[in-house]
Amino acid sequence: MKQIQDIAKDRDLLLGLARSDGKSLEIIYSDNFPVVLRMILQHNGTEDDAKDVFQEAIIILYEKACKGDFTLTSRLKTFLYSVCRHLWLKKLQSNHGMYALPTELEEIIPAEEIVDDHEAKDEQFRIMEKAMDSLGQPCKTILEDYYLHKHSMQEIAEKFGYTSSENAKNQKYKCLMRLKKMFFDKYNTSL
Amino acid sequence: MKEDMFLISEIERYLEGEMTVQEKAAFDELRRSNPQINRQVEEHQLLVQELDHLGKRKDLQAQMDRIHQQLDMPAIRTTVQEATQAEKRARIRRRTIANLAAAACIALVTSLSTIAIIQNSSRNKSTAQYEDVRRVLNNIQRSQNALINDIKDKNKAPLNPGTYGGTGFAVSGNGYIVTNLHVVAGADSIYVQNTKGDAYKAVSVFEDISSDLAVLKIADSTFKSQPLPYALKPQSITLGEEVFTMGYPRDEIVYGKGYISAKTGFNGDTTAYQVSIPVNPGNSGGPLLDTKGDIVGIITGKQTTSDGIAFAVKSAHLKRLLDEMPKDKQSKKEWAHKSKLEGMNRVDQIKKVQEFVYLVKVYN
Repeated sequence: MKQIQDIAKDRDLLLGLARSDGKSLEIIYSDNFPVVLRMILQHNGTEDDAKDVFQEAIIILYEKACKGDFTLTSRLKTFLYSVCRHLWLKKLQSNHGMYALPTELEEIIPAEEIVDDHEAKDEQFRIMEKAMDSLGQPCKTILEDYYLHKHSMQEIAEKFGYTSSENAKNQKYKCLMRLKKMFFDKYNTSL
Repeated sequence: MKEDMFLISEIERYLEGEMTVQEKAAFDELRRSNPQINRQVEEHQLLVQELDHLGKRKDLQAQMDRIHQQLDMPAIRTTVQEATQAEKRARIRRRTIANLAAAACIALVTSLSTIAIIQNSSRNKSTAQYEDVRRVLNNIQRSQNALINDIKDKNKAPLNPGTYGGTGFAVSGNGYIVTNLHVVAGADSIYVQNTKGDAYKAVSVFEDISSDLAVLKIADSTFKSQPLPYALKPQSITLGEEVFTMGYPRDEIVYGKGYISAKTGFNGDTTAYQVSIPVNPGNSGGPLLDTKGDIVGIITGKQTTSDGIAFAVKSAHLKRLLDEMPKDKQSKKEWAHKSKLEGMNRVDQIKKVQEFVYLVKVYN
């Protein structure tokens, strides 16, 4: 009975996370990080390793939550723990080719699919990140302001000192074209 | 260039859902008819999606970093360390318990199997050391016997010498003979033969497993009663007393002389004596007599590991057996007389006794 209640509570947290509710994220983060930290420290990791792995697991969780088709079947703790374990296992294997699998790192719930899935999606993300970074200022900021922060062309024109929103629009168009070219060049070759 | 820009802004309006219904329908139609525009729309959609994704990811990362900074790391570190240490201790304890349990199991199995092996081997040794001295008749003896049978034409015993052989002696004048039970056990038919070569058919009338004795009755009309020369001495006799026996380890009667070497038999068996006397297979059931010519025991077996050690059932058990026998009233009276052999020298004693010692042949 308690288990079911806990899972229900965890589902609420997950909904909060999908709404980008900072409070939910904070609860999830502070509740689960110590466990993961302990696990990573036990298996030849550092605190920074733990932070990286844990944050990656949160990202996976966040993306799953946003997609909406994810239903939590276990405790959030269990889910995060297994994902982290699997991520760390992969890292260990790639860093030291012959690292013997610690028997304690066996799966609790099979997280392999989740992690592999995530890696494929992450590829697109990295391409975009790289493209944006190589775009340079002020293109990057213009695009971010327009597409991410949903600023109007008028605001952007004022911020960057363009004489009219039409000029800003022109600039944005050029930037977008460059980004598009860079992104799809990489995207098509990598796929 | 202007057109491209216009197209992009149109696509953006389309994707954002800012178009009116008519415009949207027209644009859908355009996508259907112009694959190039359709591709541009899809590409733009993907691009914007990825951009959005990037933004959200960055937001999340920033948020997480902020939370991480707010965490009370020293406190977390100490709790984690404590938990790790506790777990390590628990694991060591668990491992110790598991090892101890395994060791205990192995010790238990080892000791049990050792006990079993020791018991088994000691039992084997006992049976190996003790041997019944009944005789398994072989072919040479068979042919010998056949020759004897040829000479004695009045003999009615079958030519076959039998499967097993032993010795028996008369306990009454009218044809009761005592031998070892292991000689006649499982017999189909029993024949007894005296030193003169006369063979008679006999039947086992009484058997006692505990003392390994059997009483046979000669069931033959040609048998003639004779008074017994010796008597039964039911009292226990003293250590070192000289005794002698007669038996049939071969087809010929054989005399053997020795002394009582212990008052108990094999493995401390109180129903028997240990006798230092040469016995061989075939001596089973032979009488053990003291110097006065009284029956003091019945030869039953010997120890295989050392020479000259034989065992004899005490005569008290023979007396008990005869007392228990309901039919045999006559034999009791006959035991009442004193031994006629007292004072005779050994050669004369043997001459008298040998007529009452029989070769027992068993067929099965």
